[in-house]
Amino acid sequence: MPKANSAAPARSISLDVYAVSLALLLALLVRLNLIPPVKW
Amino acid sequence: MATVTVSARGPTSIGRRIVALIPGLLLLAAVGYAGKLIEHSIAVYTKSHHITFPNIEYVLWAIVIGLLIANTTGVPQVFQPGVATYEFWLKAGIVLLGSRFLLGDVLHLGGISLLLVAVALTLSLTFMHLLGRTFNLKPKLTSLLAIGSAICGVSAIIAAKPSINADDEDASYAIAAILALGAISLFTFPLIGHSLHLSDKAYGLWAGLAVDNTAEATAAGALYSDAAGKVAVLAKTTRNALIGFVVLAYAIYWSSRGEAQVIGNKAAFLWRKFPKFVLGFLLISLLATLGFFTKPQLTSLANLSRWAFLLTFAGVGLRTNLRELGKQGWRPFAVGAIGEVFIALVTLGLVYGADRFLHL
Repeated sequence: MPKANSAAPARSISLDVYAVSLALLLALLVRLNLIPPVKW
Repeated sequence: MATVTVSARGPTSIGRRIVALIPGLLLLAAVGYAGKLIEHSIAVYTKSHHITFPNIEYVLWAIVIGLLIANTTGVPQVFQPGVATYEFWLKAGIVLLGSRFLLGDVLHLGGISLLLVAVALTLSLTFMHLLGRTFNLKPKLTSLLAIGSAICGVSAIIAAKPSINADDEDASYAIAAILALGAISLFTFPLIGHSLHLSDKAYGLWAGLAVDNTAEATAAGALYSDAAGKVAVLAKTTRNALIGFVVLAYAIYWSSRGEAQVIGNKAAFLWRKFPKFVLGFLLISLLATLGFFTKPQLTSLANLSRWAFLLTFAGVGLRTNLRELGKQGWRPFAVGAIGEVFIALVTLGLVYGADRFLHL
């Protein structure tokens, strides 16, 4: 009999969450002018 | 894209992991920046010598340099953890790219993408299963190839593997086939797009709908033009958002046959499989639409996104080992290749139709 799929391990964090956090942090720093204008 | 998980461990372990990333990150930066320098140098040289030469984007140079390293000297072990972060930069870059879209554009193009994705998804899943049966592939390998080519390449395969109880060998075959085909599409899509004189929007939509892996779809779009790259990311992000629904449908199918675990809480399952960077992209786009950022700040965010993509494109080349890809059996590759050509043609037809009737 197949078992029910358990939830993801409680102590693991998806890579997405780290990437989104970094991007939002950078956006906030840019908004508050805490980093110089980024050139390309 | 792969859903890599990072476990919370002791501070020493985290510190060591971060240090282990540095050599590979430096390599990504060096390869990406070398691509940018080559593009710039060629542009300066041809301009000063009055030579007419097509502008070859840094994207292609970064990928080619990465491919050369990976397939000649190979990427030494010490660089590998850092090189593997290219997906992290891809996701961060996509979130920051949200600043270049007004939410209205996202809803308009995203809505069209969603409509086209639904049609392409149904056709491609059906076609891949017919092909799998014709080529006598194992049913679960066919499922993985179908999910990978219809939705989101490697990450969809990784998301689906435990849900349908597929074995490691099937997943490796499917991933290798999707990666090999992604590498081929990088070089063929821009050529086809130019020969058909597709507009930036039409080409970007096509690349986002037809190229499997998000990194390759982003690169294939950027190789055409900056504007096409933007649209390709949006279309691909829409496709990624559907990953949970397709994986859930397959999980239910295989569990009904007693060959996979039963899904308990379906809403929790969908949330777990949902790519969270899509929400970050929408949030930044909403903030940009509401005027939260000034114009120079929006330029900075767009440039940060470009730098993040530069690391990604270097990683695409560095992680593509052509010899390893060649070691897979020919049948999964053949099924994947025929399926990809089918999907590329179907999506091209859909994009033509959308361009004409829905006014991209």
